[in-house]
Amino acid sequence: MKRIWPHLLLAPFTALTLFPAMWVVKMAFRADQSFATSTNPFPTELSFQNFSDLFAQPLFARQLANSFVVSGATTLLGVFLACTAAYAFSRFRFPGRRAGLMAFLVTQMFPGTMMMIPLYHVLDQLGLLDRWAGLVLVYATTAIPFCVWMLKGYFDTIPRELEESALMDGAGQFTIFWRIVLPLSRPAIAVTALFSFMTAWNEYILAATFMSDERAYTMPVRLQHFVGAYTTEWGHFAAGALLVSVPVMALFFALQKHLVGGLTAGGVKG
Amino acid sequence: MSAGMARPGLWAPTLAVVLATAAGVLVLRGYALHCDEVFVRWEARASARALATGRLEPAPYLDTMRVREVRGASKHRFLRRFEEAATGRALRPEVPAEKAVADLVLLARGGEAHEATPGGHRAAVVGTDDQIAVVHAPRGELGAFWLPAALAAFVGWLLWIGVLRRTGPARWVAPVGAGVTASLLVSVLVWMRLTAEQSFGAARFDESLAALLPMPTPVGASLVIAAPLLPLVVYGVAGYVTASRRSPHRAAYLYVAPAVVGLALLILVPFTIGIGLAFLRHEAGSFSWVGLDNFVSILRSEGYAITHPLSFYYTSAVTVLWTGLNVCFHAGIGLALALVLNREDLRFRGVYRVLLIVPWAIPNYITALVWKGMFNKQYGVVNHVLGLVGLEPVGWFSSFWAAFSANLATNTWLGFPFMMVVALGALQSIPKDLYEAASVDGATRWQQFRAITLPLLKPAMFPAIILGSIWTFNMFNIIYLVSGGQPNASTDILIVEAYRWAFEQDRYGYAAAYSVLIFLMLLGYSLVTQRVTRAAE
Repeated sequence: MKRIWPHLLLAPFTALTLFPAMWVVKMAFRADQSFATSTNPFPTELSFQNFSDLFAQPLFARQLANSFVVSGATTLLGVFLACTAAYAFSRFRFPGRRAGLMAFLVTQMFPGTMMMIPLYHVLDQLGLLDRWAGLVLVYATTAIPFCVWMLKGYFDTIPRELEESALMDGAGQFTIFWRIVLPLSRPAIAVTALFSFMTAWNEYILAATFMSDERAYTMPVRLQHFVGAYTTEWGHFAAGALLVSVPVMALFFALQKHLVGGLTAGGVKG
Repeated sequence: MSAGMARPGLWAPTLAVVLATAAGVLVLRGYALHCDEVFVRWEARASARALATGRLEPAPYLDTMRVREVRGASKHRFLRRFEEAATGRALRPEVPAEKAVADLVLLARGGEAHEATPGGHRAAVVGTDDQIAVVHAPRGELGAFWLPAALAAFVGWLLWIGVLRRTGPARWVAPVGAGVTASLLVSVLVWMRLTAEQSFGAARFDESLAALLPMPTPVGASLVIAAPLLPLVVYGVAGYVTASRRSPHRAAYLYVAPAVVGLALLILVPFTIGIGLAFLRHEAGSFSWVGLDNFVSILRSEGYAITHPLSFYYTSAVTVLWTGLNVCFHAGIGLALALVLNREDLRFRGVYRVLLIVPWAIPNYITALVWKGMFNKQYGVVNHVLGLVGLEPVGWFSSFWAAFSANLATNTWLGFPFMMVVALGALQSIPKDLYEAASVDGATRWQQFRAITLPLLKPAMFPAIILGSIWTFNMFNIIYLVSGGQPNASTDILIVEAYRWAFEQDRYGYAAAYSVLIFLMLLGYSLVTQRVTRAAE
């Protein structure tokens, strides 16, 4: 009896959780654009019509590639900047350290609507509208504060003795950072990378505002176009949604062990 | 705070601040008077010209008259007679002011003339119908300068003491501190003048200032606001650089620099511009300076009753309700699931864990759109299920509570995995022997939960909850895409409201003021919670 009650609790809840997701899968594999109305969430047919429709559309492949490029570049830039900053916050005591950490936290509170018009202006001045470099810069800076906090927490848990003995052996500060601290924090870096990637991959409003050229669209903007005010191409939308969700989900599953440790290492130490 | 006397050099900054304040007031006063002088001269001339051609009703504070030469009275220059055109009354040479008018009119006969008078400027311009328009513009009164100056001095003093206590006395502190104080002073004074009631002097001052500054554009306004802060930034950077040149901090700054530069460019700059925008009004493509009008209008809920969905207070209430309920559900469900999943004897543990984080992995705009479809009245699966149970279909977006619940359900689905993962991680870091010791001592499971689990979960859960509530507070996508504010914008939260003001009404300034208020609310919230968490630890 003791073994069963957790399942009685978990199984229905999991089913409920998966229901909307199954829905998307079901609609993606139907050769129909209407919303599926039956309560059965399992796919009843297996048609790849929606997917081939998507790739037959002139700019779809390019827009998908845009999303990959923007998210990849955001991840690289964001993780690099977050690592260096988090290392300094974790290992050095310098004037402005506390203020800096607080400032990073405060940036999380800036309402996006407040930033949008000015950001548009700044990007316009820099000539970065309709270019993926503009989006990458914006996304990376959006992702950095959270990443810094998380990485700093993880760096704090790495014993300093390792670095001290390396220092004895004549290693420089940067060598220690690059050769010892970074490799040791791989799990946390992986999680940070995942968050940076998701920030860019899932972002809709800024992309819709800054990218007016159809060739520069990212996937969220493209998918939104399937959902019209009066008619919705549910089949195409679901197929696109599936394409977009699969990479992130794969990353999630690959990293889920680290996810649990990586998120809380910072929290526990504060 | 035991002994103010024991701290060295407290008197030096105080003296410097007082001196800087005095100097600042004098300089600014001089500048204001200069501006006024320039403006008054211009105003006298321009008004006289306009009056002469009959194009303008002169401002009520101007001293205006039309003068006509009485023909044939005398050829001699000093005996010419003038009379006021409207009344026919002769000007009296024995009254100095009227004599001055007559003299000026003589000078103006070629076209126009102007002179400085003890009280302002007077200009005379020959008009079309043989009359000469004379306008006297008095100088403006400068408002109360000393109160804001004292305020600025006090702020500068506090700031300086704060800096001193952090960095210790250093040689560069004195001059830079004086600069900071002066700039603060100037900013407060300029600010007071700009936002003052549009009294006679203030209006003048504003206009002369506006002519000097690249206002009113968002960038210009933010420059005005940021300019006084610039010395502060320079001060900070200079201080850190000097400090780091002879210390190991240098490496630290090198590591932090790239991220900080990026953040400064793409977060701080737009943020400052955003604040600047809040003081402007946008109409048909051009901005004009309105001071605090936007804030006043929002906070007084002008045009809407407090219970109207578009009033700030109504929307705030909805937002707080939205945030509170969401965070409760997220944390509650996440914690409950984590507790169940943390049992080591549970079979399929890994499978459950993987499946339960699926909502987190799906991009939230997709989630939002799918749930919107599921809540559709005709073909939505939610009503379909209700129908199977024998209930009437619900119009999910036609009443406040139904629409609010739809949003809430969507966001709960979306957000609990994050809390679950955080709670799981925290649970796993609790040493098992604590529980063993507790059960040896005969503690029940509930007692163990209260005494061990909850306290040890706190350090991890608190930051997550605070961060989660900030995110939920600004959760744009769900509200905008699921209910879209239906019915009648009643389910909109603050950030969606701000977006609508900006992009549906083109009232950028108003929307920016809204955003500033959102930011202030969040800042206040996090300051309070920080106090609370610190006290709790």
